[in-house]
Amino acid sequence: MNSHAAGTSNGGSGDAGGAGAGAARRNTRMPKYSKFTQQELPACKPILTPKWVVSVFFIVGVIFVPIGVVSLLAARDVVEIIDRYDEACVPGNMTENKLAYIQNSSIPKDCTRTLMVTKDMKQPIFVYYQLDNFYQNHRRYVKSRNDAQLRDPSKANKTSACEPEKTTADGKPIVPCGLIAWSLFNDTYIFARGNENLTVDKKHISWKSDREHKFGKDVYPSNFQNGSLIGGAKLDPNISLSEQEDLIVWMRTAALPTFRKLYGRIYVDLKENDNITVRLSNNYNTYSFGGKKKLVLSTATWLGGKNDFLGYTYLIVGGLCIFLAFAFTLLYFIKPRKLGDHNYLSWNRHPAGR
Amino acid sequence: MADSPSVTFAADIRSGSKAESSMSSFESFQFQRAGSRIGTPAGVARVSTRRSASERFGSLCDLRDEAARFVYINDAERTSAPPARLPDNSVHTTKYSVLTFIPRNLYEQFHRVAYVYFLILAALNQVPQLGVFSPAASILPLAFVLGVTAVKDAYEDWRRHLSDKTENSRTASVLVGGVFRPKRWKDIQVGEVVRVVANETLPCDIVLLSTSDPTGVAYVQTINLDGESNLKTRYAKLETIPTPPEALAGVIKCEKPNRNIYGFLATVDLDGRRAVSLGPSNIVLRGCELKNTTWAIGVAVYTGRDTKVMLNSSGAPSKRSRLETHMNREIIVLAVVLVLLCSIVSLLTGIWLGDHSDEFGVIPYFRKRDFSSNDPDGTYKWYGASAQVAFTFMMGVIQFQVMIPIALIISMELVRVGQAYFMVQDKHMFDGKRQAKFQCRALNINEDLGQIKYVFSDKTGTLTKNRMEFRCASVHGGDFSDTDGGDGHSVTEEDGVVLRPKTAVKTDPKLVALLKDGAGAKADSARDFFLTLATCNTIVPIVIDGGTADPGVRLVEYQGESPDEQALVYAAAAYGYTLVERTSGHIIIDVFGTRQRYEVLGLHEFDSDRKRMSVIIGCPDKTVMLFVKGADSSMFGVIDKTINSDLVQATEKHLHSYSSLGLRTLVIGMRELSQAEFQEWQMAYEKASTALLGRGNLLRGVAANIERNLRLLGASGIEDKLQDGVPEAIEKLRQAGIKVWVLTGDKQETAISIGYSCKLLTREMTQIVINSHSRDSCTKSLDDAISMVDKFQSFSTDSQARVPLALIIDGNSLVYIFDTDREEKLFEVAIACDVVLCCRVAPLQKAGIVDLIKKRTSDMTLAIGDGANDVSMIQMADVGIGISGQEGRQAVMASDFAMGQFRFLVPLLLVHGHWNYQRMGYMILYNFYRNATFVFMLFWYVLYTGFTLTTAITEWSSVLYSVIYTAVPTIVVAILDKDLGRRTLLKYPQLYGAGQCEENYNLRLFIFIMMDSVWQSLAIFFIPYLAYRKSVIDGASLGDLWTLSVVILVNIHLAMDVIRWNWITHAAIWGSIVATWICVMIIDSIPIMPGFWAIYKVMGTGLFWALLLAVTVAGMIPHFAAKAFKEYFTPSDIQIAREMEKWQDTHDVTHPEVQMSTVVRV
Repeated sequence: MNSHAAGTSNGGSGDAGGAGAGAARRNTRMPKYSKFTQQELPACKPILTPKWVVSVFFIVGVIFVPIGVVSLLAARDVVEIIDRYDEACVPGNMTENKLAYIQNSSIPKDCTRTLMVTKDMKQPIFVYYQLDNFYQNHRRYVKSRNDAQLRDPSKANKTSACEPEKTTADGKPIVPCGLIAWSLFNDTYIFARGNENLTVDKKHISWKSDREHKFGKDVYPSNFQNGSLIGGAKLDPNISLSEQEDLIVWMRTAALPTFRKLYGRIYVDLKENDNITVRLSNNYNTYSFGGKKKLVLSTATWLGGKNDFLGYTYLIVGGLCIFLAFAFTLLYFIKPRKLGDHNYLSWNRHPAGR
Repeated sequence: MADSPSVTFAADIRSGSKAESSMSSFESFQFQRAGSRIGTPAGVARVSTRRSASERFGSLCDLRDEAARFVYINDAERTSAPPARLPDNSVHTTKYSVLTFIPRNLYEQFHRVAYVYFLILAALNQVPQLGVFSPAASILPLAFVLGVTAVKDAYEDWRRHLSDKTENSRTASVLVGGVFRPKRWKDIQVGEVVRVVANETLPCDIVLLSTSDPTGVAYVQTINLDGESNLKTRYAKLETIPTPPEALAGVIKCEKPNRNIYGFLATVDLDGRRAVSLGPSNIVLRGCELKNTTWAIGVAVYTGRDTKVMLNSSGAPSKRSRLETHMNREIIVLAVVLVLLCSIVSLLTGIWLGDHSDEFGVIPYFRKRDFSSNDPDGTYKWYGASAQVAFTFMMGVIQFQVMIPIALIISMELVRVGQAYFMVQDKHMFDGKRQAKFQCRALNINEDLGQIKYVFSDKTGTLTKNRMEFRCASVHGGDFSDTDGGDGHSVTEEDGVVLRPKTAVKTDPKLVALLKDGAGAKADSARDFFLTLATCNTIVPIVIDGGTADPGVRLVEYQGESPDEQALVYAAAAYGYTLVERTSGHIIIDVFGTRQRYEVLGLHEFDSDRKRMSVIIGCPDKTVMLFVKGADSSMFGVIDKTINSDLVQATEKHLHSYSSLGLRTLVIGMRELSQAEFQEWQMAYEKASTALLGRGNLLRGVAANIERNLRLLGASGIEDKLQDGVPEAIEKLRQAGIKVWVLTGDKQETAISIGYSCKLLTREMTQIVINSHSRDSCTKSLDDAISMVDKFQSFSTDSQARVPLALIIDGNSLVYIFDTDREEKLFEVAIACDVVLCCRVAPLQKAGIVDLIKKRTSDMTLAIGDGANDVSMIQMADVGIGISGQEGRQAVMASDFAMGQFRFLVPLLLVHGHWNYQRMGYMILYNFYRNATFVFMLFWYVLYTGFTLTTAITEWSSVLYSVIYTAVPTIVVAILDKDLGRRTLLKYPQLYGAGQCEENYNLRLFIFIMMDSVWQSLAIFFIPYLAYRKSVIDGASLGDLWTLSVVILVNIHLAMDVIRWNWITHAAIWGSIVATWICVMIIDSIPIMPGFWAIYKVMGTGLFWALLLAVTVAGMIPHFAAKAFKEYFTPSDIQIAREMEKWQDTHDVTHPEVQMSTVVRV
């Protein structure tokens, strides 16, 4: 049928009006029908019905509140001892001039602090140093490094971006170069409980990935900390960078101006009311910019350190959701509306409006 | 009738003479109030506006030597010799070559201001002191968008290159050394003689020298040029016909190449003899096809890029969408916010530097001093505190640059291409009869289709089919409007073969009887009447082979430029006066079976001043007759009313009744010329037609001189049928709150009756008619109209049923109103009326009316039309739509969108326009939001880095954020999301109001989404910040957490606002979160990046996951709660319709037919 119709209508081109339908199908530029081209792909059309809104809020609340409680409990379990020592370790006669104290290498920097354990602490106990007001995320600071140089001994000369600790005064490249390495933290701590020495395990305090891929096994420090201004720790030129774990930790620059860095771990359980004696050498200069130094002993949980904030966040968000669930339920009862009722359409509500 | 109306607008049409004018030849139509007086005539006016334009063109331009091109026939070398340097016939539509692609493409792309902004920022970034990003990262986003566009352009250009290549290597037969030899198209030179055979396409613009017809006639089809499928007649000059082409020598002096395809002005000088003038009828243009002519020989005058078709192949006009204009307003707001953020940062930097001024020489993280050099005062990146503050400001601009969304511009382009694809593919907008797809010519105003408030429509060819049917005749004062006389007489024997007109016309038996057997004055008049119809035209009869099943019958098709003339000739054939043959010198008419030869002695073409055409015919009995047909307004002025005043009155009465039926009317008159008169005319005619200066004016004068004291024969009524679905479409548009104005050249009565039949006018409407013959009466009726409007409006405030008003105004009155600066009043009246009908308006007046609305309101206007007379209106309106119809492609060429039928306006506006607007509005808002969220998040961090514009997020993630991490979902959603289904949108046209009152994009929504953006950035930044305070967290890990949080959050925000989820949406949204994750992992797997391995490390901690969840939920709560509240308690119409759609879905699926039928009835 169709083919016959098509044949005849090819002759009479202009007057195809009547013969159209059947004939057009064969020889036509009509867009091919598909659900895609007609924008009729099967689709789900979610609508925020009262049931959905209330259950979403309720379910979120029900999930969040317990997580909040658990996180809070976890954070409470963490025992944390913080001791700020930068003020206390300045000798009494030099409190007025701390800079002179720290910059004078002839003054001994040893200092002893006693910490009281407030609660039983299970091993491993993490030893951190905490710096306040130290902008390790300062633009001038974070950029002042060269990662290529740290990996590859042949790239020792690549010191671009390392200003102002790029080369020594006579032009030799510094390895590791840059402000970050230069300002390496150099306070040290020795712990003792009574007469018993608590050894601090300083192995594997840095990321494994850093040790293996980022800091070369055959890259050795050279010309480091030779300038007229000493920024911090010196490095043993005979130990490869991948084993200088304090440097590796320090080079993972902190995100925020108050930060902790892992110093080591103590694999000994501490009892409540134990007195820990810390002999520290207070070498690092934070006095020039009003920074604080703190020593932190802390246990850890799955959530990290002692921080209540996450728990509170979950409790507040969860609580808010449950509140909203109730509020919406109430509103839906007070002012109900039938969904999809065409009487609510504006032109049906005010017939004269248009 | 005393002050015979005249149209002077054509005097403004001169742009065609300038080759450099950038648009179509109608571009320079300017609305000149003083210049234009009265509209086009009824009837045949439409087609002829452009004919008269071309004719006028010829007369206005005198051809000076320096403005002319000299073509030496058969001597291409001399023709192209310096200084002429004419191009060969190759065409290059490509924009680029391999070498020029990169510079040219970049040059074109950088016309966008936004790109220049980003280029400047990228350049600033290269200054060492300002280097926020590494050089590679800083140019990546710009390079990416430039690259995408360049690849698109290159592909398009490659396609053009291929088509050029095929075109250039076609062959034509060219006279070389006295013989016609095949030659490739691209090698044809100006001056060469080209031979074309039937059904071949012309390779270049040629002046005809001779054809297979002894009188030098050639028929061409110009469908490739202007879309008109009917045949046009072209003539070779009698002077050139006898000479064989190889012996021909001479010089053609013609105008420089120009765009005017309906104009040509030249003279040919053969061997130093008298110069013969050439006109548009002597040139055949490249792209035309030769038809019904065995061969034609001509000389190439314009080749390659000089040909008129190439000069006319310019792109679509460029307009700017309303949404984009509004978008720029918000971009300025964002720019202010950007400056504010940078100022805050630099101010704080200044304070910080002041506080620490004595320390930073040695502060480990600042270290102003550089000890590595020998200079004791050496500093490291230190230029003084004030310079630091200034640098901080500029670095801030670079760091926060995405506040102005770069990806938005390219996204909008991609989205519009996608939307255009779906509009073109929509089978509901496919015209099956003409096989015409919807065309998107302008790619930048898709979303404007959703905001239209005024539709200005042409009538003929737009509302109606422009397929004319002869319906009734008034002959000698008698009305013949019955149609039960069968399909007419119509059969003519010729060599045993029956000829039958292709279109049958219903005849009136009384009239048939009168013609056959009648006697007396009435019967003579009737015979002359139909003789006039058969002779007074430019129709070419063409016999089609095999048109019918019966081999003994052949169909005659009447081809011509005017549908009215076709209808009249078909009618004459039905009544026994069959036009059988036409050559340039004579026509043969079969009168009731006897063939008679009529010499065509002269022909005065239609022009819009005279509004009539006439032929001077030498009859078989050696008398000379003048046959005239024309618009009633012009004809009654030249009719000798003293002969029979009753007849005139009766005819006028009939005319009135015809036009109130909606018929197009023509008045027919004739006069016998005495020998003296004829000779006097002949001399004047010859003189005029060979004149070089002002030929058109002279010819018009000759015509006006002879067309007088006519004997009235009668009048004809031609019906122009409404297109399918027009009344329903208008009803729908009206329900959608769109005001439909009809602007037509027809008479008032015709316009009103068409208005009724297409439901534009209804019986309950109160009509305000302004139809004045003088300034004073016009002023008065306008004042009356205003008081009437006021009266009705005061009614309507309290009563529910408002009386709808309709304004009917004619071109005359419009001229007076525009002349006397009463536009404001007219505007008041027009705005108050539901329907406005303007009749007898000239093309320029149409544009003026559109301008009237455009200037005074901020409402969007749309003009739709099909003819050249609508071009000015289409270009004036915010959105111009061309109907690809019977009247050529002028309107389509000027339009932004083109389609086959008026009724497609309904799906175009109500469905696609609505969608496009909703999608685009949401996409712009979302792009602002998503970039602002990111910037705010960066900003909060900067406050904790000593105000030094450090980011925890890697620079690669920051530059990829807006181009890769979050770009695809918004583009996909903006192409595919639908707030409502097609069926719902058509069922409730009122839903279109959302676009008209800018519901999807406005300042309020912008402020809301920006507040959301601030809240979410706070959640993203501060929840992890507070959780990680005083911990060992490193910058890279926290940065990765922030990157992922912001990407997840903005994608979930989008997901929450998506209305229809199909698999593509799912893939895009969830896919881009996965892609982001993968990108972050890849970046963190590069050992020399400072943040090496951070993501893997941080993903191993519980806190990371807990924070990610907390950020996402806390960030989304306000948006979710606000959305839930708004949708339930203050629902928009769209929201309710969505709910209806959802709950009634099952019903619709089972009874789709029922649904459809109710749609129609509503």
